[in-house]
Amino acid sequence: MTTNPITETLVLETLRQVIDPEIGCNIVDLGLIYSVSISDGKVSVIMTLTTPGCPMHESIAQGVQATLLGLDGVANAEVEVVWDPPWHPAMMSETGRALTGARNS
Amino acid sequence: MPSTGLPLTFILAGLVSLFAGIGWVLVRPAILSTYHYNQFVIAATHLFVLGWVCSVVMGAMYQLVPVALETKLYSERLAKIHLLFHLVGFAGMVWMFNVWNIKQVGHFGSVLVVGVGLFVYNLVRTLLRVPKWSVTATAVTAALGWLALTVTVGLCVAAGKCTYETADALPASSPVGALERGLSAVAGFMARFDALSAMHAHAHLGGIGFFTMLIVGVSYKLIPMFTLSELQSKLRAGLSIVLLNIGLVGSFVTILLRSPWKLAFALVLVAALMVYGIEMFAILRARKRRAIEWGIKSFLTAIFLFAPLSVLAVILSWPGLTLNAFTGQLENLYGFLGIIGVISFAIIGMLYKIIPFLIWFKSYSKQIGRAQVPSLADLYSEKLQIVGYIGFVAGLGVTSFGIISANAIVVRIGCSFFAVSLGTLAVNVAIMFSHSANPRLKPLANRNPATPARL
Repeated sequence: MTTNPITETLVLETLRQVIDPEIGCNIVDLGLIYSVSISDGKVSVIMTLTTPGCPMHESIAQGVQATLLGLDGVANAEVEVVWDPPWHPAMMSETGRALTGARNS
Repeated sequence: MPSTGLPLTFILAGLVSLFAGIGWVLVRPAILSTYHYNQFVIAATHLFVLGWVCSVVMGAMYQLVPVALETKLYSERLAKIHLLFHLVGFAGMVWMFNVWNIKQVGHFGSVLVVGVGLFVYNLVRTLLRVPKWSVTATAVTAALGWLALTVTVGLCVAAGKCTYETADALPASSPVGALERGLSAVAGFMARFDALSAMHAHAHLGGIGFFTMLIVGVSYKLIPMFTLSELQSKLRAGLSIVLLNIGLVGSFVTILLRSPWKLAFALVLVAALMVYGIEMFAILRARKRRAIEWGIKSFLTAIFLFAPLSVLAVILSWPGLTLNAFTGQLENLYGFLGIIGVISFAIIGMLYKIIPFLIWFKSYSKQIGRAQVPSLADLYSEKLQIVGYIGFVAGLGVTSFGIISANAIVVRIGCSFFAVSLGTLAVNVAIMFSHSANPRLKPLANRNPATPARL
C-alpha cells in the first residue's frame, strides 16, 4: 500500500471538509487559512476566524487539528489562530463567494 | 463559555411564558382591547416582560456577553442560583398581580430582585475582564444599570400601594420593625407621585433602559457578524447610546412628574433611534452576504417598528393630550408594539441564531474533523420559519387594528395569527432539540484510522 505525500494542496483539500457552521461554508474557501507548512510528518496551519470572539473559536481550531491528524502520514499537527491581518470577505475564493452568496466588492 | 444547559433552561422558561402569554390574551382579549390599568393587564405584561423577555435575554446574555466581548463569564454558579430566584420571583409576581395581592407581589418581587442583583453583579464582574472596551460593552453596562434601577423602582411602586399598620407597633431596633418603617417611608415618598405615572416611568426604564439599550448595543456587534459587514461609524454608534441614555434620564423624570417637558426627551430618544437606524442601514449596505437569513429579517423588521413606535411616543408625549378612550387605546398600542412588536420579534429572530448555536455546540463541536457536521441552518426548517415570520407580521397588523378599534374579537383573531407563528417556532425548537438527542453525523473522507469518528 502506498501513501500519498503530504502536500499543501492535499492539506487544503482535506480542510475543505471543515465548515464554519454559522456561515455554512468550508474554512478554505472562506479564506480562513493563512498558511500551511509541512515538515517531517508535522503540519502547521496558521488561520483566522471571521470575527474575533467567534464562539466557534475552539471548536473549529480543534476540528482543524483533528482533521489534519486524520491524514495518513501526519504525526503532529499545530494550529495557530491569529487576528492580524483581520479576515475580510475579499479573502474568500470564488467558490466561497458562490457558496455564501457574498458580493465581490 | 458556560455550559449550554444554563442558557437553554432560561430560554425554555421564556418560551413557555411566551406561549402561556399569547394563550392568555387569546382567551382574554380584553387585556389589549381595554385600558391597561388593571390587574390582568399588569399580570400579563409581567408574564411577557419578566417570564418571556427577561428569561431569554438573561439566558442569552450569560452566553453572548462573554462571546461578543471576548471574555469569560465570572461565575456560572451564581448564574444557576439566579435562575432559581428568577423563576420563583417572576412566577409568583404574575400570580399575585393576577389576584391583585400587592403585598405578595412585593415579596415575590424581592425574590426576583435578589436574582437580578446576582445577574448584575455577575455580568459587571464579567465586564471588568473585557480586554477591549467597545460601544457594545458601554451599552451592556448601561443596560445593567437601568435594569437595577427598573426593579428598584418596581419594588418602590409596589411598596407605595401597601399599608404598614404594624410599623409603629414594632420596635424600630428590630430588623422587621426597621424594615416595616423603611417600607412605610418609601410608601410615603411614592405617595407624592401619581400611581399611573410611576408605573409608566417604571415601564420606560425597563423597556428603553434595559431592552432597547441591549438591542441597539448588541446589534452593533451581531448584525455585522451575521451579514459579513462592519460597523461603519463608531461615532454614530456611540452617539446613539449617549442619546438613549440622556433621553431616558429625562423621560423617566418627566413621565414621573407628568411634566410637559417629556415631549423634548421623547424627541431625544427618537433622535437616538434615528441615528441607530442610519448606522444599521449603513452596516447593511456594506454587507458582503447578499442573502439575509429569516432570523435576521425578523430582527430587522422588529427594529423597523421603532418608526411607528416613535410616532406614537411623540403623540402620547404631546403636552396637554387628554386621556380618553382613544388615546388610552393608543397607549395600549404603544406598549403592545414595544413589547411584542419590537422586543419579542427581535428576540424570536435572534433565537434562530442562539438556540441552534447552543445545540450545535453541545452536539457537534467536538466532532469537527472527525465527522461531517451540519451547519446551524441545517438544525431547523426554514420553510416553517418563513410561515412563522408571516404569521407574526399578520398578528402584529391585525392585533394593532383590534387594539385601536378596541375590538376584542379582532384582537383574538390577531392572537390566532401569533399562535400559528409560535406553533412553527415550537416545532422548529423541537427539531433543534432533536439534534441534541440524536446528532446527525456523516463520516469524513480520507480518514486516518488513528482518529475514529464517533458516529
